Amino acid sequence: MDPAAAVYPEQRAANPYLPEVAADPIPFYRRLRAECPIANLEGFAEGTHIISRYEDVKFALRHPEIFSSDLVAVDIGQDRPLIPLQIDPPEHAKYRRLMDPFLGPSAIAYLDEETRKLANELIDAFAARGSCDFHAEFSVPYPCTVFLQLTGLPLEELGTFLRWKDNIIRPDVDPGDLDAAQQLRRETGQAMYAYFGGVIDDRLANPGEDLISRFVHGEVEGRTLSREEILDICYLFILGGLDTVTATLDCSIAYLAQHHDRRRQIVERPELVGAAVEELLRLHTPVMQVLRVVATEYEMNGVKMKPGDHVMLMLGAADTDTEEFGVDAEDFALDRTVNRHFAFGGGPHRCLGSHLARLELRVALEELHRRLPDYALTDGAELHYSPGIREIAHLPLVFEPVAV
Amino acid sequence: MSAMRVTLDAEACVGHGRCYALAPDIFSANDQGHCVIKTDDGLIPVGSEDRAHQAVANCPEGALRLEE
Repeated sequence: MDPAAAVYPEQRAANPYLPEVAADPIPFYRRLRAECPIANLEGFAEGTHIISRYEDVKFALRHPEIFSSDLVAVDIGQDRPLIPLQIDPPEHAKYRRLMDPFLGPSAIAYLDEETRKLANELIDAFAARGSCDFHAEFSVPYPCTVFLQLTGLPLEELGTFLRWKDNIIRPDVDPGDLDAAQQLRRETGQAMYAYFGGVIDDRLANPGEDLISRFVHGEVEGRTLSREEILDICYLFILGGLDTVTATLDCSIAYLAQHHDRRRQIVERPELVGAAVEELLRLHTPVMQVLRVVATEYEMNGVKMKPGDHVMLMLGAADTDTEEFGVDAEDFALDRTVNRHFAFGGGPHRCLGSHLARLELRVALEELHRRLPDYALTDGAELHYSPGIREIAHLPLVFEPVAV
Repeated sequence: MSAMRVTLDAEACVGHGRCYALAPDIFSANDQGHCVIKTDDGLIPVGSEDRAHQAVANCPEGALRLEE
């Protein structure tokens, strides 16, 4: 199926959740921006607005008083809004004031060396084989190990944490069975609250240097966080910490494995890795969209939005908009001089983990291309991208074996 | 110092960190990862003008301004 066929201009509707769109979203984004810049979600006559042009997405990200994040109406199994994701300003800022410094550039700079070591250990495990499933052997374990070390959670439980976040982000139920999806999310949410209740008890009794200890003992406006507030942070951390960098690595390496000239540029000029990370984030925008809810009546591009309407800000469409990025918006251009992408969102809710993500991505690209400069997709491999957050289920690569 | 000066709208900055990645001689991060202008009065050192332009142009929030 042509991904652009998931835009239905006559009905002013679109469906970004199809696997064909997740696999190749650019034609879908292009048609959406051109023919249907504010679209309903297909199957919902009214009350859902997909916003796709850069200027419109930017406006919505920057105006939380109109486009609120108070999304408790969106059921992802939670009992309360996730902190800070689903909290609006000004309340939102007090949590970020506590949390940002733990994930700021200076706080995480020390991880450069540790992540480099980890990346090399993971590459060691498959370098001599001449092939790997990059998703299972690198994209998953690399960011997840870093995250579990930061939060002081046991590495042996990674399988459970991964199952939880997948149950919520991409529940394995019959497509379209919304009741089954909701029930799985509810059960998972309750399991997460129970588990992290125990973690909080442990950190109260045995404080350490890990992030959860810091939240348990940290203060906002002169008071410690309540147990519920810490649970609401942990809920978000499992979803945000264990999925997005994996998806970014999957999308990036799948692209570079199929575009040898682009990969060669990075291999030959490692100083371009920083620019490559930004360009891969922009072009692939692994988190395709973020959600908002309309707080006050608003009209955009002639479409009236009313309080309670749900809004999908199609970040990937904004990030490939020629109005912002020029005629080569759909190309990978390492010499791009202006790259104001929203792969990490924007406005007050800019991804809390963006500095960590950038560090992890830079180190991974540096080490991978230093160790294995020539890799390609295995012949006949079919890549299955998951909608919403674009993980690839299996990413089989082949390369010249290297002695370890 | 060149005759060029940079100003920051601290309310608009949300800590993307593009400025101090692109022009670390002019910008740094506070503990929250938000922009801090390092140079006195925001004056741009001679030889750093191109980097200043690039950093300002790449702010996704439009929080930086250059005055020449």
